[in-house]
Amino acid sequence: MSFSGRLAGLIVRMRWVWIVMSLALVAGFGSGMQYLTLDPDARIFFAEENPDRIALDAFEAEFAKDDNLILVVEPKDGKVFTPATLAAVGTLTEKAWLLPSVRRVDSITNFQNTSAEGDDMTVRDLVEDPATVTQAQADAAKAIALDRVSLVHSVIPPAADVTTVNVLFRLPGKEMNEVPMIVAETQALASEFRAEHPEIGLRLTGSVMVNNQFAQSGMEDAASLTPMMFGAILLIVFLAFFSIAGVFMTVLVIAFSAIVGLGALGWSGVAMNSVTISAPLITMTLAVASVVHLLASVRQTMVETPDRKEWARVALEEHMSEIAIACVTTAIGFLALNFSISPPFRELGNVVAVGVIAAMVFTLTLLPALVSILPMKRHLKPARTDRFMRPIAEFVIKWRRLILWGGATVVVILMAGIPRLALEDDFVRYFDERYEFRRDTDFYENRLGGMNILEWALPSGESEGISDPEYLAKVGAFTEWLREQEKVRNVRSLTDTIARLNMNMHGDDPAYHRLPEGADEAAQYLFFYELSLGYGMDLTDQINIDKSKLRISASMANVTTSDMHALTADAREWLNTNAPDMAVEPTGLTHVFNQISYRDVRAMLVGTVLALVAISALILLILRDVKLGLISLIPNLIPAGMAFGIWGYSVGAVTLAIAVVIAMTLGIVVDDTVHFLSKYKEGKRRGMSAEDSVRHAFDKVGMALVVTTVGLVVGFAILAQSGFAVNGDMAKLTALTITLALIADFLLLPAILIALDKRTETMSIKHATAAAFAVVIGLGAMPEAKAQSAEDKGLAIAQESDRRDLGWGDFRSSGQMILRDSAGNESRRDFEGMNLERSGAGEGDYSVIVFNSPRDIKGTATLTHSKVEPADDDQWIFLPALKRVKRISSSNRTGKFVSSEFSFEDLGSQEVADNTYKWLRDEPCPSQPSLTCHVTESYPKNARSGYSKRIAWTDTTEYRQWKVEFYNRRGDLEKTLTASGFQQYLGKFWRPASLLMQNVQTGKSTVLNFPQYQFNAGLSEGDFNAQRLPRLSR
Amino acid sequence: MIVGKILTAATAVALLIAAPALAEDGFLGTDFASIEGSVEFEGTAFAQDPRYAGQEDNAVSVAVRAKTVLEWSDTAIGGADATVTITPFVRFDPNDGERTHADLREAKLDLRFGETDVTIGNDFVFWGKTEVDQIVDIINQTDGVEGTDGEDKLGQPMIRVSRLVNIGEVSGEASVFYLPYFRERTFPGTESRLRGAAIIDGNDARYETSAEEWTPSFAARLAGFYGDFDIGLSAFHGLSRDPAFEVKPGSVNPATGEFELRPVYGRITQLGLDGQYTAGSTLWKAELVGRLDQRNAAFEKEDYFAAIAGLEHTLYGVGESNADLGLIAEYAYDSRGNDALTIFENDVVLGARLALNDTQDSAALFTATVDTDTAETLLRLEGERRIGEIAKLSIEGGAFVNTDTASPVDQLQDDHYLRATLAVFW
Repeated sequence: MSFSGRLAGLIVRMRWVWIVMSLALVAGFGSGMQYLTLDPDARIFFAEENPDRIALDAFEAEFAKDDNLILVVEPKDGKVFTPATLAAVGTLTEKAWLLPSVRRVDSITNFQNTSAEGDDMTVRDLVEDPATVTQAQADAAKAIALDRVSLVHSVIPPAADVTTVNVLFRLPGKEMNEVPMIVAETQALASEFRAEHPEIGLRLTGSVMVNNQFAQSGMEDAASLTPMMFGAILLIVFLAFFSIAGVFMTVLVIAFSAIVGLGALGWSGVAMNSVTISAPLITMTLAVASVVHLLASVRQTMVETPDRKEWARVALEEHMSEIAIACVTTAIGFLALNFSISPPFRELGNVVAVGVIAAMVFTLTLLPALVSILPMKRHLKPARTDRFMRPIAEFVIKWRRLILWGGATVVVILMAGIPRLALEDDFVRYFDERYEFRRDTDFYENRLGGMNILEWALPSGESEGISDPEYLAKVGAFTEWLREQEKVRNVRSLTDTIARLNMNMHGDDPAYHRLPEGADEAAQYLFFYELSLGYGMDLTDQINIDKSKLRISASMANVTTSDMHALTADAREWLNTNAPDMAVEPTGLTHVFNQISYRDVRAMLVGTVLALVAISALILLILRDVKLGLISLIPNLIPAGMAFGIWGYSVGAVTLAIAVVIAMTLGIVVDDTVHFLSKYKEGKRRGMSAEDSVRHAFDKVGMALVVTTVGLVVGFAILAQSGFAVNGDMAKLTALTITLALIADFLLLPAILIALDKRTETMSIKHATAAAFAVVIGLGAMPEAKAQSAEDKGLAIAQESDRRDLGWGDFRSSGQMILRDSAGNESRRDFEGMNLERSGAGEGDYSVIVFNSPRDIKGTATLTHSKVEPADDDQWIFLPALKRVKRISSSNRTGKFVSSEFSFEDLGSQEVADNTYKWLRDEPCPSQPSLTCHVTESYPKNARSGYSKRIAWTDTTEYRQWKVEFYNRRGDLEKTLTASGFQQYLGKFWRPASLLMQNVQTGKSTVLNFPQYQFNAGLSEGDFNAQRLPRLSR
Repeated sequence: MIVGKILTAATAVALLIAAPALAEDGFLGTDFASIEGSVEFEGTAFAQDPRYAGQEDNAVSVAVRAKTVLEWSDTAIGGADATVTITPFVRFDPNDGERTHADLREAKLDLRFGETDVTIGNDFVFWGKTEVDQIVDIINQTDGVEGTDGEDKLGQPMIRVSRLVNIGEVSGEASVFYLPYFRERTFPGTESRLRGAAIIDGNDARYETSAEEWTPSFAARLAGFYGDFDIGLSAFHGLSRDPAFEVKPGSVNPATGEFELRPVYGRITQLGLDGQYTAGSTLWKAELVGRLDQRNAAFEKEDYFAAIAGLEHTLYGVGESNADLGLIAEYAYDSRGNDALTIFENDVVLGARLALNDTQDSAALFTATVDTDTAETLLRLEGERRIGEIAKLSIEGGAFVNTDTASPVDQLQDDHYLRATLAVFW
């Protein structure tokens, strides 16, 4: 019985063990879930090593971390400057001070207004006593407010119909619940305010609200999507099997898998976040595919026998390896997410990978145990699903040319949409309009300022340098330049304050509303101003501690990432031209988000390629067929490309989720391809035509692929309902990719397989692969004529050499081997050889070598029955001291023959089919310039060969190999073989009298001299029998 | 027996003198002639003092081997190719009379008629696949004084007829043997180390057949390969090469209770199967024998079976070098258990073979044989290296650890040894 058969039997026999073990596993991992917390922070997306984050941290350490909450006050009468509204704003400002961890509260009422009072300057709140303000005072305040650039478009719009109370916090950063607590208290404050002032609307936004939203939407997703997911899965399973027990088992396995994944996260002590919260949903979706796979087999077996244990055993035996492969490739794809620069994706990848492996374990142990124990309704009619697939198979076979060329065209057209993708990472627009936060923020941005803020910390180059008039002038100019930019709503700059102070100090003379000319003046004004400011209103968030840098903040509303990239670039240009000393890159939360996709796409490229390599290696291992392995790349890779293209045409903007999609989907879609290809190969092995093999593949796995794909697409479609764009985009792209993968597997793959099968009759595999690659890159064009002829020519030369050396029959030879090390020390071995040609197809030659010296190994003989690669040769050795004949392993291609520079591979007989070839050029032969040599490259097919390629010089007249260069696996030149003293035997066959093998890496060399050949020595196969070896040694 | 020794020694001397003449082509009308041989100097050191009275301590000895090959093509004997091979062997050990011995390892005429071979004379025949012991190997008698591992054999007089057989994909050879004369095993003498408490007088053997050493034995073997499988089937009927022992009459010393043993040889029948599966760099090996009428250690006739199975896996180019490391694991079983005449009755053997693949062909083999019942362990190390072009240095060491008092190995517990051999070839 097969290995899987015995294993399956064992698993079913030990069914109670699995149930106990599964429960223990779930309990063990699941208990880790108690440590799970939810991290409410937009910055979870920034890894510690993200350079943008490092810059942001440095900036915030110098100035301040702006954790703020913006209370947007909207009087229903559209007038802010009425006594009632100002009174309400004043109260709100006062109450906001009482919120936890408040650092500062800014509003229209406590605006620090400066004015001249004779020669003196005073600093007062704009509305000194909001509770008792008169309409006249209100009007005066309105005039002042609308005159201040720092207020307009940030605290008050020109229409003066809304205003804000901006609450700044200094978060201790110790507890996860700081943000939710502040938000809760603020919301309590807001409802109280709304109750007291029904005539005034109040909205909440700001970075604290953003952070809160990350946690909020995660929880909402978990609460709303999980039941949907369960419902859909249960429906699918029930419809497929009409079995309550089946549904129950499915729920158990998928829930257990998700619990193990989550528990692992809990034990690892990493907090959950808005991305990883989707991990259990993804895990369940993927687990269902495994469960369905096994249950479908149970459904088939139950027709034949009532023995439940047999149902489980057969299902396991037949599908164990497929399920394991599917889960492992999926896990690899998800593990590749560890290359992301965004920690949430790394965590997501690891949690899902653990979950998927858990799903594999449960599907292969717990599920069969449950099947063999639980009462499950037995259906007596086989589920006839084969016939559904037949029309598709016939359609593909009939229209394959159209599909191939049409498909290639469609692929090219769709992939052409990829450049239309715009990476768009806006932490506000990560959340769609279903959220109040998003609606409030949109209101704020439409009416007032912008949430996206670019920050520049402009260096003066020296301590106290900010009062330098020249520096201030440049900063002032930059501020003005920024204000002129179309997308910029408001610019906050201390130069405005200094200009105003200058005017105040000159008796409010508007002519002095400019930056002072002397260095001392600016410094004095600021010193005096700071002394007069109210509690918490200091300037430390605008000037760094040694007064060498000023902070310029430009807020933008309703902008895209590319708008901000454009502004960043323009600002860089402006600074380089006008103030090269101050040219710095912007920073801020917005900036880090702006960069994150660009960085992640690049980072994930590495991870994706590695996943591709690992998964492809696995496929090669399973299919054991390089050609099919290469073909499998097409349906594995192009679906993601097409999905991106479709997205580019239809939506355009995409979040950083796109970076991880290829790696994620690769491991999932690869299963379909592997199943299809392995059934195709099975058909071919049974001698079917390519067409019949395609029919066979459709019959065997077509329906199963449809069912699993539907399950996966439904699962991801549900996840796509998330209002959090990162998760939503990821799920939508994944669902799209998986759908396209099925289409590619059903249409393109069979068409390619049939086309290549036809082509290989006239074309080498290498060309077919090249053609396949051409389809991959969407060119659909044939390989260049020159490339084709070079390979054909190389092959032709090898075939001609081989043909000319046919029919030599047999010969005896005697020779010696002289081994020289790099110091010139020599060592000799004398030997006699016997060779026999075997000319049948697939037959390798026979040879015997008997050593005469050194004396201690005299009589040692080796017999080799060579085989066509990649099969190992049969090899025996005779040890005269023991008179023992021993069969030895010949898998060591690269080992050195009797410690010479000749490897076993060099000495073994070379068959044409052992290599692929390529002609490079013709040139004078290396040691015989009067002759012309073909220079050809050959590439060993056997992966265990010690060489990546050989380059051979074969003369064009007699096809003698004068020189061969051997390149090792790393691609470096390792050895050079030079032949000399060619003699012609029997008027036909050329043999060199001497072969010199030089190792260019070590300086060692070996000379192999054959002074004597005796052809037609009358040898027969009987002389090359292992049992006779003792008598050949004498 | 002494006559035999003298004859062998005389042949060796004669060959040495005749060597220059023989080496010339055309001598006696030969198509090929060669004479070559070796002189071996050996020294053995023991870690502890002898356990038994009379044993000599550290020993040195010299051995000479000479091999002459004469070949004629298309002879008058039915057009066959004929080869005469004569290989006498002499060892001189000044401390050990029993070890000083001579043997005609080979003295044979090989005739080749196309696919049929005939051998007449003294020859070696090796059967088997496994590494630690070859239980199917039965043609040649063990030379018990030469080595410690039983791999040294005495030449066996025989008439053998072999013929190639090719049945479909299976190709191999069938052989039948007529073995007219029996070689007695040699045993270490009183002075020898590496012997048991009781002296075995190998020259005073008792036979359970009337024809004694002239009792003929017969054997047949079919060996060949099919794909990656090498298979051998063998049958033997005749005198067992493995003696049982009884107290030598008249050897009991009533004062000390000491006595000598003598070997008893009886007729047995053995069937054997040996096979190897070559799976890439892993060789899977097994041998199985069933033997009837063999006297066991309790001197009772018992039918038994024994098996050895294991694998040898070679790691090529270990650590970026050219060296190959072979890992050996075998298990040996004998149904007689403690009554077995071999120490491999329920043992696990683990070993490693290192071949440096340098120009000196340096190699080493280490094995540990562990009895799974008693944990008695035999450690063995062999190493060799060529010196120049004509000499070879070999080192062999053995240790007997954790010996079990019920086991014969217990008597060797003071005989941990290290042996160095320098062989010079000429």
